[in-house]
Amino acid sequence: MTTEATQEHPFSHGGRFFDVLGLAAKNAGLSVLTLTLYRFWARTAMRRRLWSRVTVLGDPLEYTGTAWELFRGFLISLPCFFLPAIFVFYVAPLVMDPVLAIWLGLGFYLVAIPLIAAARYWMRRYQLSRTRWRGIRMGLAGSAGAFALASFGWTVLQSVSLGWYTPVARMNRAKMMWENTRFGDQPFEFIDDGESPQKGLWWPFALGWFAFPIAYIGSTLVVLAVVAALSGGGFQVPGADGDADPTAVLGFVAGVVGLTLLLVLLCWAPYNAAAMNRIASLITLDGARFRLKAKTFSLFWVQLAGWVITILSLTLLAPLAGFLQVRYVINRLEIVGTPKFAEIGQSIVEGPRAGESLGDAFDLDLGVGVI
Amino acid sequence: MIQGRYADGRAAITHDAECDIGPDAITFRVRDAQHIWPYGDLRRADDGAGLIVLKRRPDTGERLMLDADAKDTLRAAAPSLFRPRAFGVEPPSVVGGLIAGAWSLAAVFLVGVPLAAAPIADIIPPRYREQIADISWSQVEALTEFCDDSDEASRVLNDLAYRMMTAANVEGRDDIWVIIVDAPIPNAFALPDNSIVVTDDLIALADHPDELTGVIAHEIAHIERNHVLKNIIRSVGAGIFFDIVFGGAGAGQAVAIASVNLASLSYSRDDETDADMRGLEYLDAAGIDTGGLARLFDRLAEQYEGEEASDFPSLFSTHPATSARAEVARQRSRAGLAPSMNAADWRIVQSSCGMDPAAGTESEETPKPPEQEGVAKP
Repeated sequence: MTTEATQEHPFSHGGRFFDVLGLAAKNAGLSVLTLTLYRFWARTAMRRRLWSRVTVLGDPLEYTGTAWELFRGFLISLPCFFLPAIFVFYVAPLVMDPVLAIWLGLGFYLVAIPLIAAARYWMRRYQLSRTRWRGIRMGLAGSAGAFALASFGWTVLQSVSLGWYTPVARMNRAKMMWENTRFGDQPFEFIDDGESPQKGLWWPFALGWFAFPIAYIGSTLVVLAVVAALSGGGFQVPGADGDADPTAVLGFVAGVVGLTLLLVLLCWAPYNAAAMNRIASLITLDGARFRLKAKTFSLFWVQLAGWVITILSLTLLAPLAGFLQVRYVINRLEIVGTPKFAEIGQSIVEGPRAGESLGDAFDLDLGVGVI
Repeated sequence: MIQGRYADGRAAITHDAECDIGPDAITFRVRDAQHIWPYGDLRRADDGAGLIVLKRRPDTGERLMLDADAKDTLRAAAPSLFRPRAFGVEPPSVVGGLIAGAWSLAAVFLVGVPLAAAPIADIIPPRYREQIADISWSQVEALTEFCDDSDEASRVLNDLAYRMMTAANVEGRDDIWVIIVDAPIPNAFALPDNSIVVTDDLIALADHPDELTGVIAHEIAHIERNHVLKNIIRSVGAGIFFDIVFGGAGAGQAVAIASVNLASLSYSRDDETDADMRGLEYLDAAGIDTGGLARLFDRLAEQYEGEEASDFPSLFSTHPATSARAEVARQRSRAGLAPSMNAADWRIVQSSCGMDPAAGTESEETPKPPEQEGVAKP
C-alpha cells in the first residue's frame, strides 16, 4: 500500500493553454458544422481533458461522463422545459389575451429563477457523480428542490437588500453545496470556525457594490483626459457642441463603456478572491482543511482574459475561460493534513442516469463545469 | 516486469503492483492476489498525456496505473488501447450522424414548415388572426398617425378595392379594408386581419390613380393568398428551430417576435411574384390598365432601390427586382381604358391626411395616363 506523505502542494493542473485551445477550436468547428448539436460531445471531451490534467497527490482526476448522457438529458428537457417555453413565448402572445400572456411570461420567469438554481444543483450532482479519483466516485446528496427554494429565498433577500445580502447568500449556497458533497462515502464538511462565515468579505464587497458609479465617473474622466490630450483642447465630450463626428462619439462611448467594465471587474476581484479563499478555508474532508490563495490582481487577469476570449470568439472558445479559472484555482489550492484515504470507501450516492438537461438549457457552465 | 499501482475501487488508496504485459492480457500481482485483465475488456481512464490509467469495462472502479515508460510495450501488445475509441472519443460516424441529423432538423423547420405554412395559415381561426394583427397594429400605431380627414378617401379606395375583388371573384372580400395613414415613406402593406394600410406619401407619389390602384390590387392579392400569416408561420418555425437547437429561449424567440413586427412582414420572392400576377388579374378583370403599376414601379426603382430597409415591410423590396416587376405589368398594359377613379374621387384621395392635391395631379379633368412605349394593345 502506498503511503500518503503530507504535502503542501498536493494539487496541480498540468493543462497547457494551446493544448486546450486546439481542442476548443476543434469543438467550435464541429459545433458550427452540426448547428451546435455537437456541443454535448464537445463538452464531454473538454471536461475529460481538463479533469485528467488535475492531479491530486500525483494521481489524476477522471471524468467518466459520456456525451450520450448529456444528449439524453437534453432530450428529456425538450418536453419538460422547451415545450412549455415555446407555448409561453411563441403561442401565448398570439392566441391569448395580451395581458394574460404577459402575466404568463412573468410567471415563467418567476419559476425559472428557482429552476435555474435547481438546474445548477443537478448539474453539479451529475458532474460530481462522473468524477473519480483512484476509481472512487464523488457525489452530491441532498435535494435540488430544497436548494432551489432556499436559493430563491436568498435571491429575494438579495434583491430587497439592494445586494447587501449577497455575501451571506454566497456562503449559504456554498455551505449547502459542500455539506452535501461526498468523496466516496466520506462527506465534506463546511465547518464553523468560530468566526462569521462572511469574515473579511464586507469591505471587499462594499468596494464592488460601489464599483459601478466609481468606475463610470473614473472612466469618463480618464477618457475625457485622453480626448483632451489628443485634441490639444480642453475637456469636452465629443458631440456635445452639436457638431458630432460619429466616429469620435462612438470612440468616446466605447472608451467609457470598455474602461467602466474593466474597472468594475477590477473592483469586484477583491471580493471574489476573498469569498473563494474563505469558502475553501471552511471546507474539510476527514479532518483535513483546505487553503486557497487567490489574489486580487491575479484573479482579475484570469477573469479578464476569460472575458476577452469569450467575447472575441463569440462564446465559441468560452471553455478556454473555464480552463483558465479551473487551472488558477487548482494551482493555488493546498491541503492541510491528510485524510485517511484507506478508510474512504466507494460512494454509495447514486448518480443520475441522464445528463444535465436544464443546465444545458440555461447554458450554465459555458461548456466546462461548475465544480 | 513493470511496476504499477492498483486501486481496487473500494478504498481511495493504491497498492503496488507487479505487471506483466502479455500478448492478450495484462497480468499483475498485488500482494498475494493475481489479476488478469484481457485487453478486450479494457479502456483508458487517462487522456494519453502522461500516466497510463487502465479501467475495466463495465467500470468496476478498479484502476491500474502504469508509468508513461510502459507506453511502447503496451502499445505493441495492445494497440487498441491507443486508439481514440479507447479514450472515449466518438467515432467519425457519430459526427457524420450529427451533421446529417442537424441539417435534417433544419430542413424540417426551415423547409418543411414553410411548405406547410399555407395549410396551417388556412386553419388559423379568425380570433387568433386578430390577436396576431393586434401586435402588428401596435407597431402601425407607433410608427404612423391616423388621418382624421380621410374617411371619404378611405371610402373611395374601399369602393375601388371592392370593385376589383368583385370582378375577380375574391373570396372574403367583405372582410378586406383599406386604411390611409400618415407616414414618412411611400408604402402599402397588408396586415393579418385583412387590413391594407396605405401611406399618404404613397398617394402623393402616385401621378395617376391607376398607379395607386395597382398597389392596392397587389396587397389584396397578398391577403387572398394568405401570404401574411404564411410568412409569420415561417418565421415562428425558424425561431423554434433556433431555440431548440441552440438550447435556450433567446435568439429564436427574438426571431419569432420579430416575425410579427412590421419590419419583418416582407414576403418571399415567390409570394411577391404570386401577388404581382394575381394583382394584375384583378386589374384586368376590373378593366383597369396595368400600365399605372408599371410606371409606379419604374419611379420607385429610380428613387428608392438600394436604400436601407425601414421599419416597414417594403412594397418595393429588391426581390424580385422592381424593374422586372414593372416590365411584367407593362406587358399586360392595355391602352384606352378609363382611369380607375374619376377626377373628383382622385382629388378626394389626394386631399387625405391634409395633403394638397395641387402638389400632385393638377388636372381638373379625368386623369389620362402618360404616353408609353411598348404597350400591348387590347
